[in-house]
Amino acid sequence: MLPLLTVIISFLGALVVGLIPDKHLRATRWIALITASAGLATAITATLQYVLPQGGFQSVLAQAWIPSIGIQFKTGVDGISLTLLLLTGLIAVCGVLFSWDIDHRTNTFFAFFLALIGGVYGVFLSLDLVLLFVFYEIAIVPKYFLIAIWGSTRREYAAMKLVLYSFTSSALVLFGLIALYFGSDLHTFDITQLMTPNTYSETFQIVVFPVVFLGFAVLAGMWPFHTWAPTGHVAAPTAASMLLAGVVMKLGAYGCLRIAIGLLPIGATHWAPVIAWIAVINILYGALIALVQNDFKFVIGYSSVSHMGFVLLGLATLNATGLNGAVLQMFSHGVIGALLFAIVGGSIYRRTHTRQLAEFDRLIDRMPAIAWIFIVAGLASMGLPGFTGFIAELNVLVGAWQAQNSLHVGVLIVAGLGIIATFAYTLVKIHEAFFRRSPAADNPEHPAPSHYPRLTCPEIIALTLLIATTLGVGLFPGRLITLINTGLAPILIALSTGHVLP
Amino acid sequence: MNFPYFNLLIALLPDLAVLAALFAALGVDYAILRYESPAKRNQTAARISVAGLSLGLFILILQLSWNLPPVSIGKDQVALTPLTLAVKAFLFGLSAIVVILSSSSQPPCKHVSEYYALLLLSTLSAGLLVGTENLLLLFVALETMSLSLYALTAFNKDSKASTETAFKYFTFGAVSSGFLLFGLSYFYGVVQTLSLPDAAVAISQLPSIPPLLRIAYLFIIVGVAFKIAMAPFHFWAPDVYQYAPTPIAGWIASGSKVAGFFVLLKILFPPALPASNQTIWAGAIACGAVITLFVGNLGALRQNNIKRLLAYSAIGQAGYLLTGILGGAIQGQTSVIFYILVYAVANLGAFGVINIVSDRNGLNGELPDVAGCWQRKPFLAVLLGVYFLSLAGIPPLAGFIGKFYLFFAAAAQHPAITHWNQGYYWLVGLALLFTAVALYYYLRVLKAAFVSDAPTDAKPIQVNPAEWVCLSVLALLLIAGGLFPEAIISFIQTTITA
Repeated sequence: MLPLLTVIISFLGALVVGLIPDKHLRATRWIALITASAGLATAITATLQYVLPQGGFQSVLAQAWIPSIGIQFKTGVDGISLTLLLLTGLIAVCGVLFSWDIDHRTNTFFAFFLALIGGVYGVFLSLDLVLLFVFYEIAIVPKYFLIAIWGSTRREYAAMKLVLYSFTSSALVLFGLIALYFGSDLHTFDITQLMTPNTYSETFQIVVFPVVFLGFAVLAGMWPFHTWAPTGHVAAPTAASMLLAGVVMKLGAYGCLRIAIGLLPIGATHWAPVIAWIAVINILYGALIALVQNDFKFVIGYSSVSHMGFVLLGLATLNATGLNGAVLQMFSHGVIGALLFAIVGGSIYRRTHTRQLAEFDRLIDRMPAIAWIFIVAGLASMGLPGFTGFIAELNVLVGAWQAQNSLHVGVLIVAGLGIIATFAYTLVKIHEAFFRRSPAADNPEHPAPSHYPRLTCPEIIALTLLIATTLGVGLFPGRLITLINTGLAPILIALSTGHVLP
Repeated sequence: MNFPYFNLLIALLPDLAVLAALFAALGVDYAILRYESPAKRNQTAARISVAGLSLGLFILILQLSWNLPPVSIGKDQVALTPLTLAVKAFLFGLSAIVVILSSSSQPPCKHVSEYYALLLLSTLSAGLLVGTENLLLLFVALETMSLSLYALTAFNKDSKASTETAFKYFTFGAVSSGFLLFGLSYFYGVVQTLSLPDAAVAISQLPSIPPLLRIAYLFIIVGVAFKIAMAPFHFWAPDVYQYAPTPIAGWIASGSKVAGFFVLLKILFPPALPASNQTIWAGAIACGAVITLFVGNLGALRQNNIKRLLAYSAIGQAGYLLTGILGGAIQGQTSVIFYILVYAVANLGAFGVINIVSDRNGLNGELPDVAGCWQRKPFLAVLLGVYFLSLAGIPPLAGFIGKFYLFFAAAAQHPAITHWNQGYYWLVGLALLFTAVALYYYLRVLKAAFVSDAPTDAKPIQVNPAEWVCLSVLALLLIAGGLFPEAIISFIQTTITA
């Protein structure tokens, strides 16, 4: 029951905030912050309550919902979902803090924001395919309005593009779910029951796996269906980009892991080489495109695509190390991606009112604190030891080596090139943004101030939280890794034997 | 032979209440209020109509709660089950809302009471149609309903477009009735009975399916296709939705569509017919579904008039419903009935909002009319959001469960397949892709309502309390139907299988 509170709190918060008249700015913000913090607190408590040695799904709550067609209201948590709940809570709090200055339709903004969060929590908690899908779709509509109303840079186009990509891919997912129901003789949508041995025939798994996986992977930013991600992230307001890059892309990856791989292990083994190739294309392509962007936010947008490639590569390894790396990378990129979007789309843009790298004139002198924070975040994103990204990517690559008999060695070479490209774009963009003199800087009409305003209190809190998390987990990853491993155990057994234990 | 007149009276009491209201509305208007102002006559006629419909609704609820055993009177001419009673109640309720939405607009013209009388007549015949298992009465009821709708479409006598549209509607309708009657007479020729349950027995005793029966089904489907706006018999729909008085368009989109689908269900699934007979018509319905999905969803993409957009969306939605029909007698029928009710509620709500926002301010229902609705009337924008998101099939609204159930039912018909073209997975896949297309045009409306700013010269939106209540009830139905659909679904399912 306790984990479900995250969903209830978020939706209630959305309702309350939505009903507050528009003029009560402070009340709206504080209620949103309290709601988000309560969600985070619940997620932390649920994690502490989780009995690690016991493993499996805990705090399971099952209620008949539409028994005529085999749909239940069933929720519960395991190691994987707890990791992602924590991530969601953290990003939600930081997102609210970074929306502190929103004064246009504030109540509506926070209502949509909290509704989106509630949907995301729900996906991670659901143990019934249809319930999961319901939450998955609930998360779609708020995204549209968040981008279309409060966004920038072709916001209406970007919002529509993002929503249509999400909805089309979710149509694939729904098709897959119906097939999953009729493919087994159990007549249920219950994920835990469908995980029993020999539920699906081999042919079925091989045919249905790509449908389900593709449906979810589009939301995870898989090449060549990734184009919604950069445009959407760039157009979104800061908090929404943090949420999109930080959490929403993880919804897709989570669905790939929990449903596609978890229920169809034979199909996953069959298709893994293909996924691995696409994953490394993601890594390299995203990094190379990021290298040539002129808009700072687009750089971060494509870096997200690149980093999600590591998640997909980890999923394609289908072994303990690689899958662990994939989940860890979801968490890691969630935090780091949100951090980068917060700095670029929030802190810097708020002060310079431009995101064009060509117009940035030695920002290291003009906003030293922000610049140094970005450099730290950039290093984290590059995968420097000490940050979460390092452990996650290391695990993924080690997993890929271990999976050598199924994955082509070329995959690893391309992934290696991708890492080099990541170094390149991070360093080049840090140089262009903070250390380069801009030819446009001497324009007498718009002289750049010698010092931009300092970081505000909400910004400091949010940035500190994010950096502390990536550093803390990066230095002491043990507990998180154990937590993830308990969640992965049943999936790994399924993969090794070809069928799943309950 | 002793005809059970008393039972007939009890069974048709709700219809009598509506009939009484119909005559009362006309009579009071002609006899007493002849020289009063149109506004007053309008108010009175509307009140009488609402009173009659509410009384009918109340009696229906009593009949439902008394748990009457299924009644069948006079060769199944009146066949009442809990389901038909409930659907009748639903139709009366919708009609009452249509009356309330019409009454607060400007009186349509000086023929005030006729408007309400015709609306009641179409409600009455839709109710009779739902509650009969007799081919003759089915046809008569359908025709009465359609004739009242033709007249209502033309009610805006100052508008040439309205007259032209009504004429178009009438010509199309007359031809389709011809097809339907032709099909029904062939059908009668094969089964030698007017009663549908008897027909089912007759069909199941046939040694093989005669070609005549196939032709009969084809003609019947073509005839009904017109009523439910199934492509390629949909051409009347965009014009009628756009130019008919908006509440009437809402009624055509909701009440008459429910009735149309009930005709189709009754003829395709006569009680206790073996499932193998589905092969007679499955091909035609599947083809129709594909064409309808394409025409409706692609046609809606470029519409800038919301009413016209809703017309194309109605065609698209008919495609989903036809997909569900392929799900067979139990799951298919249940899902179609559930979704048609949900769809009717959402559509009527949408037309209600357009009526308030556009027609009351002398506008024509173009997309910019709703612009800035969030500034002008925030709660109305929320209601509009609920209706359109339900149409688009976004959870947790009832539209999602309804669509999901339709696709689920269609897939359930042939769950195990070895080739893509077996079963209906291919059709489900196509329909699912079109839901994504549909989201685009529904979001265009919501974008105008929630994202755009109001034009500077926008007139204020006025909503009276009765309208708030009606629209909120419709939205609540959609939310409740999405959160707790089990009660409705199991109710429909048990009455069908009983």
